[in-house]
Amino acid sequence: MPPLLEVADLHMHFFTPDGVVKAVDGVSFSLEPGMTLAIVGESGSGKSVTALSIMRLVPEPPGKVVSGDIRFKGQSILALSAKEQRKLRGNRIAMIFQDPMTSLNPVYRVGKQIAEPLRIHKGASRKEAWDAAVELLTRVGIPRAAERARDYPHEFSGGMRQRVMIAMSLACGPDVLIADEPTTALDVTIQAQILELMQEIQARTESAIIMITHDLGVVADMADNVLVMYAGKPAEFGKASDVFYNPLHPYTWGLLHSNPRHDVEEKGKLVPIKGAPPSLIHLPEGCSFHPRCAYAREICRVVPPPLVDIADGHLSACHFSHEPEFLANAEYCFAGGR
Amino acid sequence: MSTDPGKLAESAALGLEGAAKLPTPAHHDEVVDKSRTLRGDAWRRLRKNKLAVAGLVWIVIIILIAVTAGLWVPRVLGDPTFIDTAKVATQSLNPPSHAHPFGTDTLGRDIASRVIYGARISLLVGVLAVAIMVVIGLIAGALAAYYGGWWDAVIMRTADIFFAFPWVLFAIILIAVLGKGFQNVFIAIGVLGWPSIARVFRSSILSVKQNEYVDAARSMGASTRRILFRHITPNSVSPIIVVATMSVGGAILTEAALSFLGMGVVPPTPSWGGMLSEARSYLFSAPWLMLYPGIAILTTVLAFVLLGDGLRDALDVKMKD
Repeated sequence: MPPLLEVADLHMHFFTPDGVVKAVDGVSFSLEPGMTLAIVGESGSGKSVTALSIMRLVPEPPGKVVSGDIRFKGQSILALSAKEQRKLRGNRIAMIFQDPMTSLNPVYRVGKQIAEPLRIHKGASRKEAWDAAVELLTRVGIPRAAERARDYPHEFSGGMRQRVMIAMSLACGPDVLIADEPTTALDVTIQAQILELMQEIQARTESAIIMITHDLGVVADMADNVLVMYAGKPAEFGKASDVFYNPLHPYTWGLLHSNPRHDVEEKGKLVPIKGAPPSLIHLPEGCSFHPRCAYAREICRVVPPPLVDIADGHLSACHFSHEPEFLANAEYCFAGGR
Repeated sequence: MSTDPGKLAESAALGLEGAAKLPTPAHHDEVVDKSRTLRGDAWRRLRKNKLAVAGLVWIVIIILIAVTAGLWVPRVLGDPTFIDTAKVATQSLNPPSHAHPFGTDTLGRDIASRVIYGARISLLVGVLAVAIMVVIGLIAGALAAYYGGWWDAVIMRTADIFFAFPWVLFAIILIAVLGKGFQNVFIAIGVLGWPSIARVFRSSILSVKQNEYVDAARSMGASTRRILFRHITPNSVSPIIVVATMSVGGAILTEAALSFLGMGVVPPTPSWGGMLSEARSYLFSAPWLMLYPGIAILTTVLAFVLLGDGLRDALDVKMKD
């Protein structure tokens, strides 16, 4: 059995007048039913482009898959015709967008929008699709769903709209659900509700989830695997518990540092990662993280580190991840933790 | 947008979840049954704008009068074009009276009757010219926005060239080529007016295209055609409705200007601009000749502009009240 979804050494580059932007540069992962993969990184690390590539929503040109492949149930998505790709989108692979305030069409009733994928993919009649939409709204926890389906998006609050978006993405019972920062635009309390809802849905439907976020806290309970991306490249990949409690890459240390933790006794200071992500057109030589890395040595400035399996499926793209004395530097991230 | 202080206080008191949505016990059924539509909402907002309602009422009145003119005007006020040679001497340039509420012109024709028949010409020219503008403008704007690149450059530069010419002058040239007459007047105005519609539609589509819901629709597997017609166009047309409404006023004004210059509708067919032109020589001796067609042009154009202005606010879907 091929994996449900497999991204193999994907290189998605943008050819702009200013130069080639290597937005995604060698990303690989695979996904099985019921699994959750979190893709973590700063803005501009390529995590959204990875998601959009899977959806085939990257405008081409300027975007282009230079090499690599995306396979759904063993079938290359890239090789499909536009029409066949459309049959997958919203049907087998669905996406939840970041900002629920702008991702619903203001001129249609919410019920009609949720019904749309059913009308497109399942050939449902207007009535059937509407009834299904009401049912979906109930499932995502919207009270008085039959009435609320008749409302327009502006009559919903942000959290409610994200529920509507989730209902829409679930309409066709997709195998893969891609959530691009689904909680970033929401209040903290609402964030928790939305994440809970997604977990609950996953438990029921066995769909695989790709959760894109820059907030490690969000994925801590939810993700099975974590992919940390930096400047379009994978920095670290592994089981969530490994990445959280035994991080190998200095960039991951930085991310963990800059995240407030309520489970750590000592009130440590938050330490931001110095500097800003590099321009994807003019990447630094060697390891692209070296200008911001406190532990950078001569080799980092020259040789790009390969992504290496350090311990049983826990991968890291750092020259020193296999040195125990180097990893000791990570300790103080969790002073008093663990 | 609610200016009703009572309602504001009520919303404030009820707090969060949209005060209007909470049914009061007494009107429970009414509130639940009230099926609210976007058009209904827009109509409700439009009704709150007094000036726009005044404009709309005036337009409806003019249309009703113009449409039914044939039934009663010749009998009550007199024929707008017929010249009774026997009576010209006594009927010429009479001031407003009971028999002729707006007075008579040099040839003894009833001005009220001519103003009413002139409304037919003005409204028809306005509507037909704008219809031509909108058809050409929508197609051009859509092609420019959807396809972009080369299409965009050619269409928008052509539009710029149209903008660069003085409108009335260009219309005169066109009419000089096509020949005078009612038909050529609205064709000329329509053909010259499309660039503004095309521009507005193009920029509207381009801004709507940026919206995340367009990506969301694509992520749902919607086809390009579905996205264009169901997601982009409905969100792009409201500025067109506004511009078109205002353009009717503009077209009426242009027709009047052309007729004033003798390039419009051919006499004896009455038109407001033509009547103004005839009135020039009698500005002081018989001011009613100029006054009534002038008022007709002013109020009608104003009505369309006010209505357009009101529509702009009413059609904004994001506006809550």
